[in-house]
Amino acid sequence: MTVAAGIGYALLALGPSLSLFVSVISHKPFLVLTVLSSTLLWLMSLIALSAIWRAFLPIRSSSSSWLPFSILIFTSVVFQEGLRILFWRVYKKLEDILDAFADRVSKPRLFLTDKMQIALAGGLGHGVAHAVFFCLSLLTPAFGSATFYVEKCSQMPFFLVSALIALVFVTIHTFSMVIAFNGYAERNKVDQLIVPVVHLIAGMLTLVNLAPEGCIFGIPLLYLMAIFTLVYCGKMVWKRLTERESRPRFVANLS
Amino acid sequence: MENRGSILESIGSEIIGVMSPVSICMFLVVFLVYSMTTSSTSSSDASAIRTAANLVYLESPTDTPTEKLEGALLNAAVFVILIAIVTFLLVLLYYYRCTNFLKNYTRFSSFFVLSFMGGPIFLTVIKHFSIPVDSITCFVLLFNFSVLGVLSLFSNGVPILIRQGYMVVLGIIVAAWFTRLPEWTTWTLLVALALYDLVAVLAPGGPLKILVELASSREEELPALVYESRPSTFPGSQGSNLAGILMSGVPLQSRENGSSESISGAIELQGRSSSSQNTRNSDGFSSIGQNFASDMGENEIEVVGGDQEERSPLMSVGSRERRSPASFDVGEMVNGRRMRQDDDDESDEINSRGIKLGLGDFVFYSVLVGRAAMYDLMTVYACYLAIISGLGCTLILLAVCRRALPALPISIALGVLFYFLTRLLMEPFVLGTSTNLMMF
Repeated sequence: MTVAAGIGYALLALGPSLSLFVSVISHKPFLVLTVLSSTLLWLMSLIALSAIWRAFLPIRSSSSSWLPFSILIFTSVVFQEGLRILFWRVYKKLEDILDAFADRVSKPRLFLTDKMQIALAGGLGHGVAHAVFFCLSLLTPAFGSATFYVEKCSQMPFFLVSALIALVFVTIHTFSMVIAFNGYAERNKVDQLIVPVVHLIAGMLTLVNLAPEGCIFGIPLLYLMAIFTLVYCGKMVWKRLTERESRPRFVANLS
Repeated sequence: MENRGSILESIGSEIIGVMSPVSICMFLVVFLVYSMTTSSTSSSDASAIRTAANLVYLESPTDTPTEKLEGALLNAAVFVILIAIVTFLLVLLYYYRCTNFLKNYTRFSSFFVLSFMGGPIFLTVIKHFSIPVDSITCFVLLFNFSVLGVLSLFSNGVPILIRQGYMVVLGIIVAAWFTRLPEWTTWTLLVALALYDLVAVLAPGGPLKILVELASSREEELPALVYESRPSTFPGSQGSNLAGILMSGVPLQSRENGSSESISGAIELQGRSSSSQNTRNSDGFSSIGQNFASDMGENEIEVVGGDQEERSPLMSVGSRERRSPASFDVGEMVNGRRMRQDDDDESDEINSRGIKLGLGDFVFYSVLVGRAAMYDLMTVYACYLAIISGLGCTLILLAVCRRALPALPISIALGVLFYFLTRLLMEPFVLGTSTNLMMF
């Protein structure tokens, strides 16, 4: 394939997040900084994980190797979910500082939508980091005049498969951060739990790709997970926003 | 909606204002490196250039690692010593007020860089993308381009955007040349420069520290020297705002084919007040780094009372102007005409203190990323993130310390660390999992 194909794969994986970035994030410098720092955090988590797993690599990719891979995915997901809690703690401190600063310059405190945007930016950073390191950085050969097929998935070029999967994970990472932050803020156990569960299920679903031609079933299942995350996040945000809108009106009526 | 706009929109715009040109510079260098290395794989003579950076030792692939290491260390030492000598010379010249010489010297060197170093790069680009252009047109365009660049350095009539653009272009050109250095030399050179930068800016008696103090004690900001040697404070920066100055203080000395030529390590990106009255409110004050207002109490970077008036598309930060008689100080940004003009409208106090990032920082960040680009894209992303976060750390330190800080050390240290971590640890891991279509 050629340059067109390479750009196509890159946009397939990162196009939605690019438009999200341009439309929501890029106007607000603070959100850009949030994206950058969350990307850095994810990169560091990946480096730490690879440092742990370096000794056991490479894992032979025979069909019986699902066990080591599942352990790998399990540890990675657990590690990253732990990191999410850390990220929340840091964010909580930052929010206090920001509110104090807003008071000082007599600007309004952070709105609910602001908080959600920060969460979105944090999630986007995670997602973009995922897509960049698992998909985009492998795309270099796709710009050349050849393509590459994996044995296990002979229907599609490897780059297409990885771009498709990366899109799923970008979506999941981005919106599950919103869900998780809301869950932490509201102390909603369901929201808190659903995020690692979705992440783990999505990670485990990629094990289907180990089976011959497994990607034909694996990728639709992954997309189901992504759609589920999207819908759940949308519902939750809608609920929060509508109840938030009605509450001030109520207060206004009282006073 | 505008006035109840949340603080998210204002916080951090200075940092982004510095980060975006650096990012653009790095991106273009990576792009250049990619297109040049892919096109010049057939012609093997590309790497055999002789500069001041490999004066002593020319790396060849057959040498043993110890030989390479020794040679690279020697190269780095010679290069740093050369830079130190040149910097001291510049300090000396500034001390004896040879302003015109310094100014013209900077003009000459930037012309040299733009035309004679930029020319080959443009030729490579033209060849690689097979752009149909004849030699006369190309020559005229190149000449125009260079002349405009030279003019934009010192004249105040040129829009700030053009000057910023030329700064980035200068950085790209020099960095693109530096990426042709052999691998070991590049790494040792980067580390050595970061160390030198640390010493020169922070140690008592360091040349750049002397220069900063000299400039602030003279209460002046010489346009020539501002670009020639980066350090320059705005005297009287005791207000609530902070004149953020970052520098790496590296006069680039690159020597080609025997002709010595030194640029701009010293060239400074800065927001300088324009001396022409009519441009004062529009373009004079937006700088590559905007007003770096900060507050010690909060330990975080913030903007006090800034309303953005203009957004420069490239740097995405507007000019900020504050009217407050309380913190009024005229002639803070002295430059001859401006001083006289200030007398008539005194209430118009302008805090135009930008973050200043030396061109040397641009160059060496880009060199690191460009070198990483020769290995893999993954290392590029890792190094980019590391450098940007290092820059962010430096900016936060700047807000805390309120003094000139070297911008190279943290970023270069993080960049080098992440490069090797990525290369040694992460790449096999990611390749191993993702070629099996495992993701998480």
